[in-house]
Amino acid sequence: MIATIARKEFIELIRDGRFRWAAAIVWALLVTALVAGGYYQRDLVTQQRAAQAAEQARWYAQDPKNPHSAAHYGLYAFKPRLAPAFLDPGVEPYTGIAVWLEAHKQNELIFRPSEDATIAQRFGDMTVALVLQVVLPLVIIMLGFSAFAGERERGTLRQLLSLGLRPRDLVTGKMLGSAAALALIAGPAALLGAATLALIGPAGGELRFALLAVAYLLYLGIFLLLTLAVSARAPSSRFALVVLLAFWAVNCLLAPRLVADFAAERHPLPEAVSFKARVQAALHDPAATSAMMKARTAELLKQHGVTREQDLPVNLAGLSLQVGEEHGYEVFDKFYNELYAPMEAQNRLLQRAAAFFPQLGLQAISMGLAGTDLAQHRDFTRAAEEHRRVELKIINDDILEHPVKAGDIHLGDRGLWAKVPAFHYQAPDIGWVLSNHALTLVLLLLWFGFAACLAWTGAVRLRPL
Amino acid sequence: MLSTEHLTKRFNGLTAVDDLSLSVAPGEIFALLGPNGAGKTTTINCFLGFLTPDQGRVLVDDLDVGTHALETKRRLAYIPEQVNLYGHFSGVENLAYFSELAGASHDDAALRQFLSEAGLQADAHDRRVSGYSKGMRQKVGIAMALAKSAKALILDEPTSGLDPSASHEFTVLLRRFAASGAAVLMATHDLFRAKQVASRVGIVRHGKLVHALTAAELSHTDLEKLYLETMES
Repeated sequence: MIATIARKEFIELIRDGRFRWAAAIVWALLVTALVAGGYYQRDLVTQQRAAQAAEQARWYAQDPKNPHSAAHYGLYAFKPRLAPAFLDPGVEPYTGIAVWLEAHKQNELIFRPSEDATIAQRFGDMTVALVLQVVLPLVIIMLGFSAFAGERERGTLRQLLSLGLRPRDLVTGKMLGSAAALALIAGPAALLGAATLALIGPAGGELRFALLAVAYLLYLGIFLLLTLAVSARAPSSRFALVVLLAFWAVNCLLAPRLVADFAAERHPLPEAVSFKARVQAALHDPAATSAMMKARTAELLKQHGVTREQDLPVNLAGLSLQVGEEHGYEVFDKFYNELYAPMEAQNRLLQRAAAFFPQLGLQAISMGLAGTDLAQHRDFTRAAEEHRRVELKIINDDILEHPVKAGDIHLGDRGLWAKVPAFHYQAPDIGWVLSNHALTLVLLLLWFGFAACLAWTGAVRLRPL
Repeated sequence: MLSTEHLTKRFNGLTAVDDLSLSVAPGEIFALLGPNGAGKTTTINCFLGFLTPDQGRVLVDDLDVGTHALETKRRLAYIPEQVNLYGHFSGVENLAYFSELAGASHDDAALRQFLSEAGLQADAHDRRVSGYSKGMRQKVGIAMALAKSAKALILDEPTSGLDPSASHEFTVLLRRFAASGAAVLMATHDLFRAKQVASRVGIVRHGKLVHALTAAELSHTDLEKLYLETMES
């Protein structure tokens, strides 16, 4: 019986001109977003690989020079793009995907966009994620709002219920039939996405793709069930449409912006100019470095069994540079934590708001699985910073180990440059991502359960009058 | 086959059906006559389980509708004033769908046979019902009852809006259906058709069954006179 209803719903939908128009529009949007996203991904990955290789080659091929000059010469570290990122670029347009590694400075990159933009800016581009999160729910509403209310208005519901049909069979059949019709849109789009991915590479990320599919199915299922639930309870199809459109507008259009603005108000980022000024003031605090320098010099004197600095078989300039860097690390750690703490608090608030607006939950999970959320950006910048510190330690140790007489200069050579390992970043594994989004996943599941209960109870109470 | 026992139904303090008792035997056509608001449709809604009686019982094949909702619906076929079908489907597709949901699956040939028996021209079987006239839809309704092998048929103003020819055709079909042993309860305010097709006629006023008469005992004129007197009293 359920199969009969599902088949009828499916056929009725695909014969409906509204469905064909909606399918054509969604298809056009998805194809555009997939192809554009795919080619952007391909170009980006190609350019990144080329740039990373060129950067490494440039580093290793440096002519002999003062090692500290080499450290200032700098090196770019690129965040490898995971395959699913072409579906959902997440915060990358906002944060960037490369970090400049240089002596005395920690990744400046994240400051610039945050100076003038709200975090709502993160969600502005036309992407596959946007089509699935915003456009497809609208299509579900447009196709499903009259599922029960329309049958009641046309009188077919009376006819159906007079047959001894169980309302729960009716709601299940309608859900399956509508889902099958929607699969006609999403299925070929998924195949096109897979084909695009196969053409552009990089391969891999199957588990992330599979979990993304589950998350999106869950989200679209919530909309489908809510649509059926409202249609079953609404006194007219027009009323159902108004209620559902209001929910869609609030969930998909207003909430991401309003909650983002509220989060920014609640957890403000440090003001950029004064933030930089405070960082600079702390970096150039002579008292902090001089105490550290004294202590480290004393250690060296003791280690080498001498009492005077000039008797040390090392170059204290190297120690001074390393002490300056280590002081910088403390300063950067403190201030970057100060910068990231409100960003993470904003993100947590956005994720918790999924209790009221499921799109916010899906948005967070989607970015997480695509490897483009703030947590993974921060993990990348942390790895890049660790690499910078390793590089500077190698260079400063080299300076330390090469004492020079007055007027002489120590030059680093390719042997030194080769000691600095190439930067390799391994993105966090899927378990790490899922644990970051555990609450959001639970909230989405609860939404699904809630929508299913609403649809179920709506169906059980279904009356033709 | 169809009966009510002291059926009473109220809406917001207003009594729509008042202590109504009637019965329709297999092979019998009972026409329930009355003006709009007399309680005819409320009675039908109680038979279909769409409304719960405040007092009394509604029985189909001796089963209480209140306690055997699904079983009683399985025995009934219902034809409303306007048989509502799915416009994107053809006549045969609509019949297949409703028959399957009623638990009576038939092959394509059998479905077409039911439609033909109900008087629907063969060239209309595969046309989408959005282009059907009201009479053609009523025939699909009759075909549904045939396909379901319903033991009882309930009709609500079935000839309203039909032209005389279609209306006559419809009454012939009803007689044939009753002749097969089904009980037919028809709510109408068409005195002429009621007299023409029914075995018995009941007149309801303010929810009460005021008269229940054998149609053969009355002429058209007698029935009209009795109806008008009942309404004016």
